[in-house]
Amino acid sequence: MSDRDGADRTRNHASTKAEGVGPARRDVLKRIAAVAGAAPLAPALIATSATNEAAAQPAVPSQSATQHGSGYQSLGPDEAAFVEALVNVMCPADHLTPSGVDCGLAIFIDRQLAGGFGQGERLYMQGPWRKGKPQLGYQLPLTPEQFFKAGIAAANAACKARHGKPFFALAPGDADAFLKDIAAGKVMDPRVPLGLWFNGLVYPLFTQACFADPIYGGNGDKVFWRMIGYPGLPATHRGDMVQYRGKPFPGAKDPKSIADFS
Amino acid sequence: MATKLNKKTVVIVGGGLTAALVARQLTAKGTDVLVLERGHDRRNGAEATLPSQRDELRWDIHGSLGQDWAVETYTVRHKSNEEALPARRLGAFLPGIGLGGAASHWNGFTWRWSEYDPVLRTRFETRYGRQAIPADLQIQDWGVTYAETEPYHHLFEKLYGISGKAGNIKGAIQAGGNPFEAPRRDEYPQPPLEPTEAGLIFKAACEKLGYKPFIAPSGNSSGAYTNPDGMRLAPCQYCGHCEKFICEAQAKATPETLLYPVLMGRPNFEIRLRCHVLGIDYDRQGKRAIGVRYVDLVTGEEYEQPADVVALCAFTMTNTRLLLMAGIGEPYDPATGQGMVGRNFCYQTTSAANVFMKDRWINPFLASGSTGVTIDEFNNDNFDHSGLGFLGGAGISANLTNGRPIGNRRVPPGTPQWGTQWKEANAAWYAHSFSLQAQGTSYPHRENYLSLDPTWRDAYGLPLLRLTFDWRDNDVKMSEHASKKINEIANAMDATVVAPAAARRSPFDTRVYQSTHTTGGTPMGADPKTSVVSQHLQHWDAENLFVVGASAFPHNAGYNPTGVLAALALRMGDDLASYVERPRRL
Repeated sequence: MSDRDGADRTRNHASTKAEGVGPARRDVLKRIAAVAGAAPLAPALIATSATNEAAAQPAVPSQSATQHGSGYQSLGPDEAAFVEALVNVMCPADHLTPSGVDCGLAIFIDRQLAGGFGQGERLYMQGPWRKGKPQLGYQLPLTPEQFFKAGIAAANAACKARHGKPFFALAPGDADAFLKDIAAGKVMDPRVPLGLWFNGLVYPLFTQACFADPIYGGNGDKVFWRMIGYPGLPATHRGDMVQYRGKPFPGAKDPKSIADFS
Repeated sequence: MATKLNKKTVVIVGGGLTAALVARQLTAKGTDVLVLERGHDRRNGAEATLPSQRDELRWDIHGSLGQDWAVETYTVRHKSNEEALPARRLGAFLPGIGLGGAASHWNGFTWRWSEYDPVLRTRFETRYGRQAIPADLQIQDWGVTYAETEPYHHLFEKLYGISGKAGNIKGAIQAGGNPFEAPRRDEYPQPPLEPTEAGLIFKAACEKLGYKPFIAPSGNSSGAYTNPDGMRLAPCQYCGHCEKFICEAQAKATPETLLYPVLMGRPNFEIRLRCHVLGIDYDRQGKRAIGVRYVDLVTGEEYEQPADVVALCAFTMTNTRLLLMAGIGEPYDPATGQGMVGRNFCYQTTSAANVFMKDRWINPFLASGSTGVTIDEFNNDNFDHSGLGFLGGAGISANLTNGRPIGNRRVPPGTPQWGTQWKEANAAWYAHSFSLQAQGTSYPHRENYLSLDPTWRDAYGLPLLRLTFDWRDNDVKMSEHASKKINEIANAMDATVVAPAAARRSPFDTRVYQSTHTTGGTPMGADPKTSVVSQHLQHWDAENLFVVGASAFPHNAGYNPTGVLAALALRMGDDLASYVERPRRL
């Protein structure tokens, strides 16, 4: 059934109050400084292209402290900067939720990339690899984690060509417009299909990060469930079915998650 | 080198619903049965226990209960002159794995199809004339009548404790039921489920338009129920985690809840879990199935399992694939229309509208898997098709099955994809919206078929099954008609916003879930030139080989397939018991 909001793709511009990019960058710099104890690393980080990410990665141990107290498992510093900027543009702090980073959206994405999904679990990975119609689905030889990272590198390269700086350094309005152009297939890379990358991988991860059970690291404090009025668990609604049919459901104001019952 | 095991009387491939029903009939009559199932028993796992059962990301979004595409997927193309590509992460449908198969994570809709469905060609020729059926639509009679299967529908509904309201008891139309229902001998075993708020809104709009809405028959138990085998169902909790989930409350009728526990207590029944069947051994000269070969997924060892009778009870596509790999029967060729195996592959033609009502509390999370309110006025051949330019139709429903927040939020068209306005739209509409669905016929088309892929292989080195499928002219026209009717109903609801239904159109999209109702490939019939198995589901080219499941359907109706494939399986179980007693062409 075509009842997912993603099915009704719109190109309308959102009026984001994004204040995310600045803080995201600060988060990364703060983390680098905290871990490496060396502020001079920061300019090098900014200058490092994502193709050199492997060299930059060892500087940040996986247990590095973020504001959430848990380090990234998959994302290197450049990649983390990109993802933090992205989730803060797509989920700005506003009257409904804190910023994407503060909701745990970047942590969620990182965990998904490091885990079974990112490593290609349940994905048919046998060659040969051929191009086909979009309706036949994903046909690249990359695991989701590899594709995600190739896309970050390609998007950053395109961003530098367009704006002279990497994505995380863009002003919020520019970052939002840049993502809209990627989603619309207007940002090209010679090798990485960025439209597919965003619509088929990044966007689904973003909505999952918002609405999955908080046990996966996103949807911090069940903020998105509370926002829409999804009561969560235990969902034993036999009595509620009749009592609250057509009426506001009290449990929607105080959702419960897996951890609340574990 | 495979180890050869001692011969069994009947070996069944697949441990899902049809296998359990066939085995129930056979073991009751003293025949020994062995079931080989590639998956395991999940009844005590995280998927069947609270709180982990309510994990949308794991069980639904990641599809962790279904077939593992890394091991085996399908290749897909739209026309026979194109190269098929593997669906590397198939979204369109969900073949099962594990005890109970796909029937352990179904939603529960349980229909008897229209009385005329098994004689559809005769029906169309009689009503509209022979020329009314387009030459490329391979509509054919099933070789069986509804009356012959009615006792098995009756038995299945009792075993499963189906909840519903009869619409037609012995020809007498019943108020509140489906007036288009095939005649039944009595009421459903249990009263219908509670409708949702969306169902009540739909019901009112339909009544305003003069239609006869009814609550769909369901395998979600409306009360506490004990079936004729002494097995119990608990009342449904309306938890909204049904399809794609295993019910932790034993409130959804499934093979592992109601059928396998009984079978496992019978001394002549054996099931070997984590045993993956690789192929059928076939004696071409003698025209007999010798047995099956399988790999034990615990030890990695391969075995030959000889048997007097081989029964294929796997998912639709697997039944066809096993026959094609073994070279049993002539593969279908779309160029000539000759050959049988793989023909009449059908799907389910669906479309949907979204309805937004700012003053109504829909509360989508208060729902069971099949709490649907439906009308059948525009389904199948329930209306006059003269001059319409297509055959078939769709059941139109408000089936609100869940409010799981990753996949089942609705926002009005034009909403941005992210940002504050996106959040505001989700906050505004989540509890105040629902969809209306058309579940439509899919009639066999000459170009829609199953074959073996020449390029890609599964994890065992065997060729993948190739789907050549697209929405053809008849499907699209039917879907346009059904979508128009949905939109008329949606517009009769005083909704704040209606996002109208658009007809299903080519090309078929493998990425988006539409329905797991794939049918055909091993169609049944009275004519060996156009069917793989006889009206008794006995293979025309191997007397001791039987095939059952939706793979045996010559076409797909505007209904879910479970009721019909279950009735066919119970009937085949009785036929097989008779065959074992006295082997012959039935």
